[in-house]
Amino acid sequence: MSDSKCIILIDREGYMVTKTGHTEDFDMQAISALVAGSYAATREMARLLGEEEFSVLFHQGKRDSIQLTLVGDRTILATVFDERTTIGMVRLYAKEASQKLDKLFEDISQRDDDGSEHIGADFAKSAKDQLDAVFSD
Amino acid sequence: MQINFALKEVNCKIVYYGPGLSGKTTNLEVIHSKAPTTNRGELTSIATEGDRTLFFDFLPLNLGNVAGMKTKFQLYTVPGQVFYNSTRKLVLQGVDGVVFVADSRRGKLEENTESLENLKENMAEYGLTLQTTPFVIQYNKRDLEDIHTVEELDRALNTVNAPTVEASALTGEGVFPTLKKLAGMVLENLNRQQSSSVVRRRMLAKEPVAAGVKARAGEAAAAPSTPSAPSRPAGRAASEQPAVVKEHVASGVKPVERRVPPKGASGVKPRVTPRRENASGRPAASPAARDVAQGERPAAGSRAALYIVLTLVVLGGAAAALYYTGVLGKLLG
Ligand SMILES: Nc1nc2c(ncn2[C@@H]2O[C@H](COP(=O)(O)OP(=O)(O)O)[C@@H](O)[C@H]2O)c(=O)[nH]1
Ligand SMILES: [Mg+2]
Repeated sequence: MSDSKCIILIDREGYMVTKTGHTEDFDMQAISALVAGSYAATREMARLLGEEEFSVLFHQGKRDSIQLTLVGDRTILATVFDERTTIGMVRLYAKEASQKLDKLFEDISQRDDDGSEHIGADFAKSAKDQLDAVFSD
Repeated sequence: MQINFALKEVNCKIVYYGPGLSGKTTNLEVIHSKAPTTNRGELTSIATEGDRTLFFDFLPLNLGNVAGMKTKFQLYTVPGQVFYNSTRKLVLQGVDGVVFVADSRRGKLEENTESLENLKENMAEYGLTLQTTPFVIQYNKRDLEDIHTVEELDRALNTVNAPTVEASALTGEGVFPTLKKLAGMVLENLNRQQSSSVVRRRMLAKEPVAAGVKARAGEAAAAPSTPSAPSRPAGRAASEQPAVVKEHVASGVKPVERRVPPKGASGVKPRVTPRRENASGRPAASPAARDVAQGERPAAGSRAALYIVLTLVVLGGAAAALYYTGVLGKLLG
């Protein structure tokens, strides 16, 4: 999109929602947790400074950089990019994408839950068996 | 809890809570070292040099495929020190189950009860209670000599009749039983909610507000360079904003959102919610919006510098944000 390496959509609670691009090298779960934590810390700073919210965060590295853009009030769009693209491009695209995603989430949330998708009734039982098998002393 | 039907994933968040040095980090270290490598991710710790948890420890666990869903647990610990309350609060956001790691040693009872009270308060801000959230108490350090009996600990700490597990995290004893007990409760809870079509609701709008931070924000507000701070008392967000109730179900990740009035505030007119302002319609005067126009140039200038300096003064815990950057950098290679 803007020649970035990868784009990750992260829930504010620290879960990855979806990703795209070259993400194989990265520990996505840890990154998601840290991004959410980082975002929460920044939000706290904003509050103390009397800002509503910092809607964009940017960490610059030697090779790779990461930019975080808020989508709605629940999701964070993280863009990892290197020197092949510029912050300006990333900002521009991320802002646009964030607005589109926010709209999309809004639309989805209007839709009624038809209940077509559910976790199976035996889920907890199977999961607990698995727990015993995997985490035995 | 995140149920992502698009990715066929179930994610649960488990938080290890308790006073400083009770053994929370040690629990995660044991799990990390003993769990099969295929089932665990990396243990990420953000600690100070003195080895104390500054922000949180994070360990993802993968249970594998369960009834067609990739099932994962994300384990977090919180820093025990009293002054990191804002961090504890943010880690609790969206929590599905809590392990309270109590220090069994004599002389630690008060620290334990204080931490437990603090947990209750912080959960209440998200609309959660110990009675309705999967909760297990671990009596840790049972290997030591000068410790309270289980009965004494029960009387002082276990007011909600939670399951308890005796442990010695140092030797690893009781660590997996604690995790399995809680994980089982979380999974049952999930099943109950699903089968009765009661979907997960979540209080999100309430901002974490730390008592300690409040006081210090007041100090900063007195500084001449922060004209905006005095107009925004720390407790405002929690008291005036309507709570946002969210549900996360069906067709991929589907955040459904409803607004309900805050508790006991029926007469209060809900403020315009920040949702839209933040995402798109933010006033052009905001620093972030201006930066977009500036293209290549990173956020700089005196205002940004002021923010950074102030931040360090105002919020002890905010130093963690800098640690984050370092850790993120490492993860990204
Ligand atoms: N004797 C003993 N020491 C423990 C036990 N669990 C933890 N410790 C020690 O207590 C100290 C603090 O543990 P840590 O996990 O960092 O505590 P946290 O602040 O709750 O994360 C460390 O020196 C641990 O080795 C235990 O069961 N028995
Ligand atoms: Mg610790």
